[in-house]
Order: sequence, then structure tokens, then C-alpha cells
Amino acid sequence: MRANEDELRRLMISGLDGNAADHAALLRLLVPVLRGFYRRRSSGADDDIEDLVQETLIAVHTRRASYDRERAFTAWLFAVARYKMIDHFRRVRRLQPIEGLEEVLVADGFEDASGARLDVEELLGTLPPKQARMIRATRIEGLSISEAAAVDGIGESDVKVSVHRGLKALMARIQGGAR
Amino acid sequence: MNTDDLIARLSADVPKVPRHAIGRRLAIGLLLGALVAGIAVVGTLGIRPDLHVAMHGFSFWVKWTYTISLSVVALGMTAQLARPDSGRIRWAWLLAVPVVLLAGAGIVELARTPPGAWLAMWLGHSWKVCPWIVLALAMPIFAGLLWSFRRLAPTRLRAAGAAAGLSAGAFAATVYCVHCPEVSAIFVLTWYSLGILLAASIGALLGPRLLRW
Repeated sequence: MRANEDELRRLMISGLDGNAADHAALLRLLVPVLRGFYRRRSSGADDDIEDLVQETLIAVHTRRASYDRERAFTAWLFAVARYKMIDHFRRVRRLQPIEGLEEVLVADGFEDASGARLDVEELLGTLPPKQARMIRATRIEGLSISEAAAVDGIGESDVKVSVHRGLKALMARIQGGAR
Repeated sequence: MNTDDLIARLSADVPKVPRHAIGRRLAIGLLLGALVAGIAVVGTLGIRPDLHVAMHGFSFWVKWTYTISLSVVALGMTAQLARPDSGRIRWAWLLAVPVVLLAGAGIVELARTPPGAWLAMWLGHSWKVCPWIVLALAMPIFAGLLWSFRRLAPTRLRAAGAAAGLSAGAFAATVYCVHCPEVSAIFVLTWYSLGILLAASIGALLGPRLLRW
């Protein structure tokens, strides 16, 4: 299952209400998210990353009272993850040269990027499947029109029309949402 | 340990978390600490004998309004800093409101008093001990708030420590009001605030050490 804000938040809130199965499902879904988060930010070995992931899972569990049900879950999660990473570096690699730190800082856009990715997934979910699929293929995965047409077994003009209609619908939705 | 095993172990114990858990936990820690501080005041310093009379007086309520409003703002800041994604605290300036109002009351008071009596009014009878008593009473409250933080997730530890210290100091001053017979606004503005500031400084000093998780 793909992790998105709504799903994670639903599981978190259900866990806060005492549902252990949903809490376990949440922690399992967080594993790949956290691995990606840490891998992108540290050059560390997989062991280090797994340590961080586990520490963060424990923190998510023990500090869950600090999550406010009215707020975004991923913002809370990434704040916990970032804190754990800084704490980890402080403890484990106190003597590491500053290069490590730079990489940490450079990857700072990751949260926004993954937040944006979740938003995009959510928006694409509102479109008819074919339009969403074509936008994903041509605009996100970077296929050409003819490649996308071949992959899906439809005509090139069909691809173009789907992308165009889909983007137009998204634009209308976003502008409507902003108003 | 294998991550799957860890998840299984963590999910074995999933107690319910009530809504507004941050506020609840902070309130419990604060009140437990305040209980200890209250017992200390009653047991060692004693309640001022004219408390029921004083409670009808203006100066008592000036003091309480000052310390309680500082406590409320400081606790709000503490609650925000207890979240990992706390962001900027845009309303920290609210702390200045009670200070400015009390300073205003102090100026009015000075204007009505002959300058010769100003020093006596400013120092009162207890200026040497007042800040220290406030600081001492703040310690159990600060300890209570540290307990609250054990399930919370501050990421700016120095700021969180300072906010907790400030809350503890302001609430300790509120408790101390039931003993302290001083009446002048400039006394409170100087010596109470000094005690509260000391508590906040100690909180800022200890925060990074004690609030780590």
C-alpha cells in the first residue's frame, strides 16, 4: 500500500483511540517512508539507517501524545524524524567532519518534495484513471508521448488529449481550492 | 532487533490517548508541582493572616492578575513547544502585555506617592528574599512539567526549557501571593518578575540536558 497523508493520519488517529492493529499498520507503513527520509540525508551504512528508523518508530510510539489530531500527520512525523537524526548524529558521529552535516542540510527540501508528492498523488486520484495514468507517465516518469502511447496501447493523440484534459481539470481544481 | 519484531512489540501496548493530551499532561504536571509548592508555602511560610481581607483589596488582584496572565501565556508557549513541529511562536509578545499594564499601574502609584517614600515602596519588607522564594517554589512546578514532557516531543529544547521555567516561575509567584503581604505594583514588577526570570533562565539552561528524548 502506498503511504499518503490521509491514510497515515487515519491510522494514527485510530491508534490514538486505542486500536492496536491500526497502530501496527501505521508503524509498518512508516518504515519505507523513514528509510527514504534517512537514506536521502545521510551517507551512512544501512545499519545506521535501520537504527535511525527503529529509534524513530519508538519515538512515534512513545511520544504519540504530542500529535495534535487537527494537524498534518506528515509534518509531525518529519519533525520527529529530523530531531532523531540530529540527535543521532550528535551522539554517534560527534567527531565526523563537517561534510556529513552539509549533506544533511542540502537534503532539507526533501520534506517539501515528499509532501508535494503526496499532494500530487492525492490530486491525480481525483481524475479519471486514464488521464491520471497519462499525466503520471508523461509528466512525472518522463516518458515521451509515443512511449506512453505504446505502454498503454492507445493512440498518441489520445495520450495528448488525456494529458491536456487532465491538467486542465487539475488546474481548475487547484484554482477553485485557492479561492 | 529486527524492525518487524520491534513493531510487533510496540503494538502490543497501545493505550488510548485522550484528545488535547498535551494540554492535559502539562496541566497535571503543573498542578502536581503547584500542590507541592502550595504545601511548602503553607507549611513553612504560612498563609498571610489577612488573606480573606486582602482578597477584597485591589492590590492582591493586581498581583494575581499579573502572575496568572503570565502563567497562561507561558503555558500556551510551553504547549506549542511540546510539539515537534512547533514552528514560530507568533504571540510571544503577549507576555509583554501584563508587564506593560503592571508598569502603568506602578507609574500611577509612584505619582500618588511622595518621592521620599518611593524607595521604601520599591523595596518593601522582603525584596531580599522574594525572588529567591519564587525561584524555590518554581522548582517543584518545573519538575512537574519535566514529568509532563516525558511523553511529549519538544525539538527546540532550550526554548521549551525556558517556556517551562517561565510557566513554573509565574505559577510559583501565583502560589506565593497567598503568603506575600507586599502591596506595591513596582515591588511586584521588580522582585516577582526577577524570580520568574530566574526560573526561566534555569529552564533555558537545563532544557537541552533534561528534555532530550
